[in-house]
Amino acid sequence: MEDKAFETGKRAQSGPRREVPAWLRPLLRVWPAIGGRPNAGDEEEEGHAGIRLTYDLKDTLTDNRFVGLWRMATGFRKIYILAVLAAGLAALSSSAVFYLLRYFVDDVLANADLQWQIPWVAVGVIVLTLLQGLFSFGMGRLAAQTAEGVARRLRNYLYDQIQRLTFTYHDTTQTGELIQRSTSDVDTLRRLFQDQLIGIGRTGLLFLVNVSALALLHGWLALLSIPVLPVAAVASFFFFKRMEIVFESYQSQDAALSNRLQERLTGVRVVKAFARQSYEIERFEEENWEKYRRGVKIANLHAMFWPTVEILTGGQVLFAMYMASMMVLDGGISIGTYIAFFGLLTTTVWNVQGIGRLVAHVSTGLVSLNRVQEIIRQDREELEDGSVPTKQGLRGALQFKNVQFAYETPAAEESGGAKDGKTADKVKAANKVLQETRSRAFAERGYVLRDINFDVEPGQVIGLLGATGSGKSSLVNLLPRFYDYSGGNIILDGEELRNYARGFLRSQVGIVQQEPFLFSTTIRNNITYGLVRDVSDEEMEAAARAAAIHDVVQTFPKGYDTLVGERGVTLSGGQKQRVTIARTLLKDPAILLLDDATSSVDTETDATIRAALSRLMQGRTTFIVAHRVQSVMAADQILVMEAGRIIQRGSHNELVSQHGVYRQVYELQVQVEADLEREIAEVVESAEVKLNGLEEGPRTPDENGAPPESEIPHTVSKG
Amino acid sequence: MSEHEQFEEEEFDTEFNGQTVARILRQGLKHWPLMFGYMFSMLVTAFMDGYLTFLTKRIIDEGILAGNTEQLVRLIVQFGLGLLLVSLGVMGFIFSAGRLGERVQYDLRKKMFGRLQELSLSYFDRTPVGWLMSRLTSDASRVGDLVSWGLVDLAWGGVSIIISLSFMAVINVRMMLIVAAVMPVLVVVALRFKKKILVEYRDVRKTNSKITGAYNENITGVRVVKSLRREEGNLEEFTDLTRTMYRAGYRAAWLSALFLPVVQLISAVAVSGIVLYGGWQFQVGEMTIGGIQAFVFYITFMLFPIQEMARIYAEMQQAIASGERIFSLVDAVPEIQDRDGAQEPESLRGDIVFENVDFRYEEEKPVLRDFSLHVKQGETIALVGPTGAGKSTIVNLVCRFYEPSSGRILINGKDYTEWTLHGIHSRIGIVLQTPYLFSGSIWDNLRYGRLDATDEEVVNAAKVAGAHAFIEELDEGYDSQVGEGGVLLSVGQTQLLSLARAILADPEIFVMDEATSSVDTLTEALVQEAMDAILADRTSFIIAHRLSTIRKADRILVIEDGRIAEQGSHAQLIGQRGHYYDLYTKQFRDERIGTGQPLLGTGKLVAA
Repeated sequence: MEDKAFETGKRAQSGPRREVPAWLRPLLRVWPAIGGRPNAGDEEEEGHAGIRLTYDLKDTLTDNRFVGLWRMATGFRKIYILAVLAAGLAALSSSAVFYLLRYFVDDVLANADLQWQIPWVAVGVIVLTLLQGLFSFGMGRLAAQTAEGVARRLRNYLYDQIQRLTFTYHDTTQTGELIQRSTSDVDTLRRLFQDQLIGIGRTGLLFLVNVSALALLHGWLALLSIPVLPVAAVASFFFFKRMEIVFESYQSQDAALSNRLQERLTGVRVVKAFARQSYEIERFEEENWEKYRRGVKIANLHAMFWPTVEILTGGQVLFAMYMASMMVLDGGISIGTYIAFFGLLTTTVWNVQGIGRLVAHVSTGLVSLNRVQEIIRQDREELEDGSVPTKQGLRGALQFKNVQFAYETPAAEESGGAKDGKTADKVKAANKVLQETRSRAFAERGYVLRDINFDVEPGQVIGLLGATGSGKSSLVNLLPRFYDYSGGNIILDGEELRNYARGFLRSQVGIVQQEPFLFSTTIRNNITYGLVRDVSDEEMEAAARAAAIHDVVQTFPKGYDTLVGERGVTLSGGQKQRVTIARTLLKDPAILLLDDATSSVDTETDATIRAALSRLMQGRTTFIVAHRVQSVMAADQILVMEAGRIIQRGSHNELVSQHGVYRQVYELQVQVEADLEREIAEVVESAEVKLNGLEEGPRTPDENGAPPESEIPHTVSKG
Repeated sequence: MSEHEQFEEEEFDTEFNGQTVARILRQGLKHWPLMFGYMFSMLVTAFMDGYLTFLTKRIIDEGILAGNTEQLVRLIVQFGLGLLLVSLGVMGFIFSAGRLGERVQYDLRKKMFGRLQELSLSYFDRTPVGWLMSRLTSDASRVGDLVSWGLVDLAWGGVSIIISLSFMAVINVRMMLIVAAVMPVLVVVALRFKKKILVEYRDVRKTNSKITGAYNENITGVRVVKSLRREEGNLEEFTDLTRTMYRAGYRAAWLSALFLPVVQLISAVAVSGIVLYGGWQFQVGEMTIGGIQAFVFYITFMLFPIQEMARIYAEMQQAIASGERIFSLVDAVPEIQDRDGAQEPESLRGDIVFENVDFRYEEEKPVLRDFSLHVKQGETIALVGPTGAGKSTIVNLVCRFYEPSSGRILINGKDYTEWTLHGIHSRIGIVLQTPYLFSGSIWDNLRYGRLDATDEEVVNAAKVAGAHAFIEELDEGYDSQVGEGGVLLSVGQTQLLSLARAILADPEIFVMDEATSSVDTLTEALVQEAMDAILADRTSFIIAHRLSTIRKADRILVIEDGRIAEQGSHAQLIGQRGHYYDLYTKQFRDERIGTGQPLLGTGKLVAA
């Protein structure tokens, strides 16, 4: 049975490729649309898909959410309308069966002359069902094409939108929230197109067709048999509205339960360490029981609703049946009419019962639309706007003049673009809560950088030292224009930083972060990630060698084609960090930002990473952000930051000789080391000299900023 | 996510396992009144549904065609009463099946969570959290649904068909046989269809989880994406993914759209058979108009039970597989549990002795061999050595997260397996490098150390741990939320809080594994001082790499390859010029990055 259908599809697909007269073409477009097999989607993809996939969804931001939905379906509207039409035709065919039945009972059976028609009636039943099936399949198929197409475009758009939104937006938005909107809300919208909108259309048409058919059978009787149906529809609508609330509370409890579970399982060591098992069981029991309770509420609501509807519509059917049968007795209608009447009525009732649910789902869908549009509304970061010619690379000379920086106040205020600010306002009101949270987050931050002044020569190393929250990271984040400074000037190679295109700057600035981030693809792809040019294997390997990761990669069975996170292969934090260093080496930036690049790396690889980093720093303007003295002591210029200001500056030697934070931190570290140094010196002074050559010789405490660390530098992975 | 999925995918086609099914059923039978309730109401509903259609026949034949108004009214009243009964039945089975479904889920979750609390850490090492999560969420609800709605629908489908056929037989046996002949075709086609659809939807779900993963990566890695300007390439890759999704989703929808028409068509064949044969039978007086009408209705409405049964049957396999996984979790035996007659220790104060301890996580891969150690009450032991040497294993054994494979560990002269796990864990304070905080306020998290601690005690502990200062600076102070796992705080802050939590618990033995590695220098110095006082009379084990932490230890153990390579005080070890000495001199050179000196030994280390 299925195979046959596939065959039909195949034929249909190859259909339009043949030469056909122009007047026939529209028809041929309809046929594959109805019968086409799944992969007919490919054709759509390469054909007019261009328009469909590139349609700018910002266009869907309107006051009226239904208009928004309508625009969302741009490129698919024709087939969607066709789908609704198919639904109507399917309803028509199913009604026709009852008419056929009436003819069969009244004419064929009652007339001995018409016996020969019996087989034809039988064939008629099959043909009508076939038609009905064909149309309803066409409806489902066309709706699917629309729904999947709309969803796909939406997914692509959101994905791109997300990666082009500003840091300010990302700072204030939770990952889970964004993911939920891009996945489950998109899916809700997909279902809206796939099932609900079309379902409403279908039910509406079926109702119209059936009621007309009833009216044709007997006008007065038809009127008597429908009054309860709207009541049932409305009741069902309200029920599902109520259901939505109850269901949402169930879902939120489900989420609470999952969160608790997730946390307690991830933190199982903590639970065990404090022997809190029975405490946890009690807490879990509370959540678990609450979920049960809310689940039962749903069941109770259903247990109330369905019998009520059953009685309501049953009463209607009963009444109509009584009236109709009385009319047969009076000779008002024929027995065939009675049977057709009864059949039509029953199918109508069945379908109307479900419409409330559909309508309720549509309102859920509209909420999802809103949530998705909230992302669409945000302005993207412009990557290419800049007045400075970007033909050659940067030298890396920088001047900071009175630079001020405060995190932008809510991104939402400038949302919606100039085009339809009014709309933006309206929806903003709807999403007030979300925005308030955001603006609170902004308000709390205030000025992060004040009166920053310093100059950097190309190739210099700048150390930034300070406690968490002192503004070091904010300062370096200004360079790739992740954020724009709010006051003062930053002059890069003689031009205001703002005049450079973001995209260009980012291609010239390399960043090694505290937490190395690798993508779940091969090591090779991670190293060459983001490079526009083609990179030969040799070049990649050279970078990997320089970053001291090549030998590690060689120990993996699949070498550079090993997937990050693949089973059996685990990269340690240090190894990950070295992959990001190799990546940055290949990128060959003029300016380098090392944001606490070694602090969270396990000690085993500290040394190798330092070596790799120092290779990376060669000939580049480098900013080192750190909270420990030894990371910055070699810098040409050290800036000590506190609460957004530079409180001390100078070289290591200068800073050590002044009173201040730098010396305080430094002395603390040195004190310990001095002791050790003395011990070592006492025990093995002569050997030390022999071992390390002359430069290592006698040391002054000044030179030894670093607390020695206890573990053997060791790069071999366990696996 | 992907791991989670992988686990999800396995065992889809498990054999029909009678034992598992029986065990699943038993979950429902525990609440037999509910099960009885829905079975009974379901029977009433199914019977009345069949009877109502039969009544329509009688209304036509005995009432309308016979012209018997009195009988007509009687039958219509019956019809009304029948409707009422159906409604009651519907109410009954929705009520009891809904309740039962939730109840079974609740029971299963409760049982599994309880078991998880007993299982040893080694179980959690082997089992990804995602896997466990799906057991307690989706699997539990699948089994719950099977026991309640699944059974209702299955039984309702079967019973309805039998009842319909019986009524048809009452009307006309031979015509019933025509319908019965079509039935197997209908069932087989429906079943195969549903299975195929299910497979397609699994495909959709798989792609969907990939898409979710892609979103997740793009959002969490947005900083890297932007700094490497990878936007174009990313979008291109993602477009491939959505294309796959489009196709999978489309194929699934396509099949679903085909399902009903195909099933309807088969039943249309049955209807046309009735028209043919019924028409002829009518001529010979064997059949009435009401009868033909009833047959048409029976066939039309039989589609629903068949659809339902096909659906349930297709999903049942999954539910049984879910059940199997659940039971595998419930049946898991904790590797470490209290021995018979284990006692609650009064105190863990006293010497800790490792006596010829062997330990391995996996067969053939011993981590410790013949390890012996005597730690005096109140001693502070620092463990140093390369990763994988066995430092963490030693402290895990002290905490009894694992037990020796052979040999003994004695606390205060007594084999510690003679005490309860609870007794040991509640008396040892453990602070790890990657501390875990639970979402909630700082109050909640600190109090996890001692549930009945007063505010004052909590604040004191925070002060000792050096956490008080930064907590005070937060807008909401101790009421600040820390976020799941502590994400709203820096790693250093999380470490301080977890230290404070352990201090509040006031343990008799302290274990610290790189506990303050991310704390800044000034703060660490303060914490160090305070900790000295706390550790003074407690036995403690410290794994650390910062010299300031290690050098004050009473004894330093250099662990290499599962053995103690060297031990002694800091001064002694430096004097010995052995491993410990090497560690430091090397470290010194490597730390001196950028001072213009060659980075000695780097090449060698990389090659190592």
